[in-house]
Amino acid sequence: MSLRRQGTTLFSAMLAFVASAVVLQLWLLTVSVEALLGGDYKTLTPAAAGSTALLLMNAGLLRYVFRFDRDVG
Amino acid sequence: MNAEEQGCQGCKAATTPKWRKDFPIEWEGADYVSRREMVKFLTLGSLLLVVANWATALASRFVHRGSQAERHIGSAASLDRFGSILFRYPTDEDPCIAVLTPEGKLVAYSQVCTHLSCAVVYDKAENGLFCPCHHGLFNLQGQPVAGPPTRSLARVQLERRGDQIFAIGKEAS
Repeated sequence: MSLRRQGTTLFSAMLAFVASAVVLQLWLLTVSVEALLGGDYKTLTPAAAGSTALLLMNAGLLRYVFRFDRDVG
Repeated sequence: MNAEEQGCQGCKAATTPKWRKDFPIEWEGADYVSRREMVKFLTLGSLLLVVANWATALASRFVHRGSQAERHIGSAASLDRFGSILFRYPTDEDPCIAVLTPEGKLVAYSQVCTHLSCAVVYDKAENGLFCPCHHGLFNLQGQPVAGPPTRSLARVQLERRGDQIFAIGKEAS
């Protein structure tokens, strides 16, 4: 299998992972808004921190994509 | 622009068809490119969601977190007569209800149902606060016991001074 073909397979998996993370972030936002309206303020900061962690993972994967492209040329 | 340059541009146009300029990616590479674009797009969406999440967390610092103001709400005589009285606390925009329980205890809650904000009323037969919109019921501790509401009513602290009743504080809803 060529490196390019391997990259395509790898990025399909990566795309699925990033999409799942974004869905999870959407859920976290929904929970946060619900908690805000319900006066349950203690869950808001952990939810935002969790969302930030997911963003960092997504950004890390995106950086990997860019580096992979640069190395393969 | 001279004729030679015009001719050369004509050559390029002839060698590169218009559809090729509009769609410069080969079929084989299409997936390769679109996945990257999608990852970039999703990461941007991820960033926006983080911003929204932190905005929600920050908003909680500015939300009304209860009140300590003092306000006269009525007399004990009227409460004894009707079983409950309606009042506004801490502002005129916040309807509340005070109830004298069958055990003789004085309790008060926000009148705003935690389901869809209809006004709850005292139901003597059910010994609770009833929301007529969707048949929600809260007990006299303010907890939801029937119907769609899932969150408790905001409690108002009362103080009795002789025959007069004062609201002296309200928990965040």
